[in-house]
Parts: sequence; C-alpha cells; structure tokens
Amino acid sequence: MYQYSEQDHQLLLERVSQFRGQVARRLKGELSEEEFKHQRLRNGLYLQLHAYMLRVAIPYGLLSSEQMRTLAHIARKYDKGYGHFSTRQNIQYNWPKLEDVPDILDDLAKVEMHAIQTSGNCIRNTTSDPLAGVARDEIEDPRPYCELIRQWSTFHPEFNFLPRKFKIAVSGATHDRAAVAVHDIGLRLVKNETSEEIGFEVYVGGGLGRTPMLGKVIRKYLPKQDMLTYLEAILRVYNMLGRRDNIYKARSKILVHETGEEKFRELVEAEWEKIKAGGLFLRDEDFKWVKGFFNDPAYEALPDQDADFENLMLSNADFARWVDKNIELHKQSGYRIVYLSLKTALQPPGDVTADQMDAIADLADKYSLGHIRTTHRQNLVLSDVQLKDLPALWEELKALDLATPNYNHVTDIISCPGLDYCALATARSIPISQAITARFDDYDFINDLGDVSINISGCINACGHHHVANIGILGVNKKGTEVYQLTLGGSAREDAAIGKIIGPAFEADEIVDAVGKVLSVYLESREDPEETFLMAYRRLGQAPFKERLYG
Amino acid sequence: MALQVYTASLLKEGLVAYLALENGHPSWTSDIHQATVSEGDALDALKKAAEQSEQENIVVAPYAIDVLKTEDGIVAATKREQIRADGPTIGLPQDNLRESRQAA
Repeated sequence: MYQYSEQDHQLLLERVSQFRGQVARRLKGELSEEEFKHQRLRNGLYLQLHAYMLRVAIPYGLLSSEQMRTLAHIARKYDKGYGHFSTRQNIQYNWPKLEDVPDILDDLAKVEMHAIQTSGNCIRNTTSDPLAGVARDEIEDPRPYCELIRQWSTFHPEFNFLPRKFKIAVSGATHDRAAVAVHDIGLRLVKNETSEEIGFEVYVGGGLGRTPMLGKVIRKYLPKQDMLTYLEAILRVYNMLGRRDNIYKARSKILVHETGEEKFRELVEAEWEKIKAGGLFLRDEDFKWVKGFFNDPAYEALPDQDADFENLMLSNADFARWVDKNIELHKQSGYRIVYLSLKTALQPPGDVTADQMDAIADLADKYSLGHIRTTHRQNLVLSDVQLKDLPALWEELKALDLATPNYNHVTDIISCPGLDYCALATARSIPISQAITARFDDYDFINDLGDVSINISGCINACGHHHVANIGILGVNKKGTEVYQLTLGGSAREDAAIGKIIGPAFEADEIVDAVGKVLSVYLESREDPEETFLMAYRRLGQAPFKERLYG
Repeated sequence: MALQVYTASLLKEGLVAYLALENGHPSWTSDIHQATVSEGDALDALKKAAEQSEQENIVVAPYAIDVLKTEDGIVAATKREQIRADGPTIGLPQDNLRESRQAA
C-alpha cells in the first residue's frame, strides 16, 4: 500500500484543523449554513434524511487491517455501531454528530485516511478492480496508476470547482471488475498490438443517473507515460465547456454527447498537444517510485493443492458451496482470493457492524497479509489467503455471518440506502433487496440460476447502479406510492450495456413476484445452464419477459 | 386547508426535530406527536419561530409538512416524512444479527 510522506501527513492535519475551525465557527453562528455547506461537503459531510452522513474515502478500495480497526472504532464511538460500504468502494457513516466530525477526521488522519473529495464538484475517489495485483487475468496492476491519479487529483487547484462531480475508474485486467464504462473517465490497461507495450484504452463520458450513458473510447491506446497529461487535457476541456447553468446537464456524459465524440476527441487532443511534454509526463523513475509501494508480498512457494482442503470439499457440502461461489483463483500457486459476502437477509447490502469490522481486521492479519479490499458490488475481499487456511477461515466467517455463498449471484444485490436514509431518494430500496433475498435464499436455486445481477436504486440518481444490472430495479414515487420499475439487460462488465425498461412499474408487494417471473422465463428458455441470464436475454429480447410480466 | 407542522434538522446532531410552541416559546422535539399543529394563517407564527431558530443556529433548513390527526396521534402525510419521523424501516444490522443468533 502507499505510505504517506511527511508532507501528506502535514497536509491532512492542516485540513482537519481547518475544518475543526469551520465547525466551531458554524456552531457559534459565525458561518451561515449556506457558507458552511460548501465546506462540509468538501469534507464528505452531507445532511441526510435523519442525520449527518460522513463519507470516508477508501482509495481504490484498499484497506489495511489497522485502517479497518479505525473504521470500527469510529462506528462504535461516534456512530450507531456500523458502517455502509458504497458502490464507489467508500464507507459511509449514517449518524455522526457535527461536533464530533473533526475528531473523527483526526482519528482517520492517524491511519492515513480522510473524507476529502468524497463529495462536491471535484474529482472523486478513484476506483479500481478489487482483485488488483492478484488476479490471474491481469495485464498489469492498476494500483500504481490509481495512486498517481490520487496524488494528481487531490487538491488539484484547477479542478476544485468543476461543473459537476467527476469519477475515474481504472482496470488492469481482461475482465472488467471496475465498471470502467460508466465513469466520467475509464482507463483500461491494454497491450499495444504492435509494440507489446502496456498503455491505456481511454473511455470518456460514461455515467448513470437520470441520463445513463456508456463511455466512448476516445483513445484506443495511450502510452502510460502520458496518463496524467491526457487526464489533465480531458478535465481541462470538461472544466471549460461543461455546463454550469443546469445541474442535470452538467456531467461530462452530457458534454461528450452534445459535443459529439469526434469533436470532443479533437478538443482533448488539441489541449493535450500543448501540455503533453510538460511536468506531468511520467518518467521511468516516477513509475519505479510508485510501483515500489505495490510490490508483491513475500509469497511462500506452495503447491496448488492441499489434502485437508480437498477432503473437506468432498465431505462438507456447505464448505464446497462457499468455495464454489466465493473463492477465486490467485495468480500465486497455493493462494486464493476470498469474497466476504455482505449480502444476507439480516443486513442491508454493504452494511458491516463494528464488531464484524474488528473481526475482519483480525482475519486479514491472520490469513491475508493484513489487507482488505472493498468492491463496487458492496462486498469485501481477502486477497491473499493460503489454500490450506480456507477451512479455518470459512469457519470463522460463518460465525460472523460473512460466508453466504452468493458472490455474483442473484442474492448478491447492490442497493443504495434509498428512502430509509437518503434525502434524495423517492422510494425504499433496502427492504426490496431484503425481500428478494428472503424469497430466493435457496442455494440450489441460486446455483441453478448462475451468474446474474440485481441492482436496486431508490431514485433516478441511480446510486444503486440499476441501469447496469442484468435485472435493475428503480424505485420511484408515483402519486404518493412507492413503485418499482424493472430494467433488463444491463451489464457493468466488459460487455457493458444499459438495461431497458420492460414496462409499467410494479407496486412494492408485486416487485418480488415480478423478479421471480423474469427468472422463471430465463430458466425455462435458456439453451443450457452455460447460457447466462444476460446471454439468454440478448438472444430472446424483451418479448417473452414482457409477455410473462404483463400477459 | 391542510394541517401542518414545522420540521428541521438540529444543527449540532443533524437529527430530525419538530417545532413545539408553548405560550409563544419555541422548543424542538424529536417526537412528531409533540409538535404544534397549525393551519392557514395561524401557520405564520410557526414559520416565524422556525426561522428564528434557524437564525439562532439551533436548526437547519426548517420547512412545513402536511400531517394528519389520527387516533394514534399526528402522522406525517407522506412516506418520506413518516420515515423521517419514525426512523429507518429496517433494523440496525447488529440488532438483526443479534436477534437471528438468539433465535438460532
């Protein structure tokens, strides 16, 4: 992991001190709410439906066990004993008091964390592949590039007041686990077809919300040395030309769409020509320095099999199910990647109690070199677990309710906080996710369905990413009643697609049945179990689903 | 004319609060049942008191909401305001886990 320099520490302490002063002035009435609002948002502090909400950045989803313990401590001391992992790999606290927030930020600063740029019209926390550095399908580890972007974008004076928020995602693997196509900028590490050198495929203008759009490939190949100069050029064009007169048309996706892909590319390239040889050009020593923070740990040379593991796989069906669903192969022989499911009928998706956080930190130290990752599907990952340790880890995760075998399956539901917490929401989303989980919480059924995603948003802002789910659910308020619209066919992966609305919305007590009907059509119509829901939908089109739903 | 109460967020805690006026003296309560209900021109007194509290940095962003008087007391008219008044409709995760373990 990146380690803060003395300058980084100093910067953070000064920022906390500055905010402490702003809070004190607000509480004394020396700052109006209008004046203070911009300051608190710049420090990740929202005023939500029931209370303040603090969003803490987890840079590209990486956490140390020490950081996780601090998150637990904050949940316990300043909040109601839990936190919520979001679709942007961050954590949110739902109940902090304003007067406590400077102390929370102080505690975070001690472990090199903060809430800066987790809100407001600036470059937000860069997100990435939760399997970065350990995935078998990786072309190159994206974390050093994420860190370079983090350093470049933090407090970047030119981009501190953009037309609207700006999100960047970086993926380094063949399979896209970072949803790069639905970010303002998506970077995919690719190999140049002729030179074999590694560089980036650059997407711009992706985003969800009320006008979902997939990013356009603005450059098929960008040498990695040019990453920051090119990002700077894109941001400069957006900052100059993005609309500030209409919040609904201010995101980069609208600018790219209205300007036209080709014209936008020309503008960026012209700007880039002016700055490409400047100070942001990345030199070999820059890469060497930043990659030094992400060297492989000292993996043991281990066989890729273990007798005890094999025996338990044969003798214990529950263990075998968990391994089948929540374990991925690791690039290193004898190691595995473990998904900790935060999706059970007992907890809102992404919620983790303080006790669970502490226990996860202990498990990370015991089994996974002290590191934890967060995923944009609101789960956690232990990335470096030895194969021989899986039985013991499984037992401990079971006791914590973190071993539900459902990763990337129907009950692994993304859900925004919805109307239970969010001031913008128009309908509840968590109770719907819990009702769906309760209905389909049967391993054989889940297993039979295979790879399928359900995402739920409680309003058109789409924080639950419903547009890019195979089955998306959007809650809206229709004449005082919460109703739920179904979209089918979305994907956030390398085959990214925006789902299409299937028809009129369903009431809350109808939506679970509606999802059941959609799943039934799939099961009855698939050519074989290898044909996933998305493949079948793309083959069949909307008609059979519409027929079953609306007859 | 709809019955209304004034609501806001407490500045220090951020928590939901409702305005109660007693003999012209304002106070803020977390219990909607304790809120002063008014309608029509009589709402002006609530509005003035709420704005005064905002200026005194007790609350943030006060606004009026429609309510109904039922046999169970005052109930907010919209789902959003009902959830603000009663809290999230889902339990805290640790409570759900505890109950599940006890049941097991």
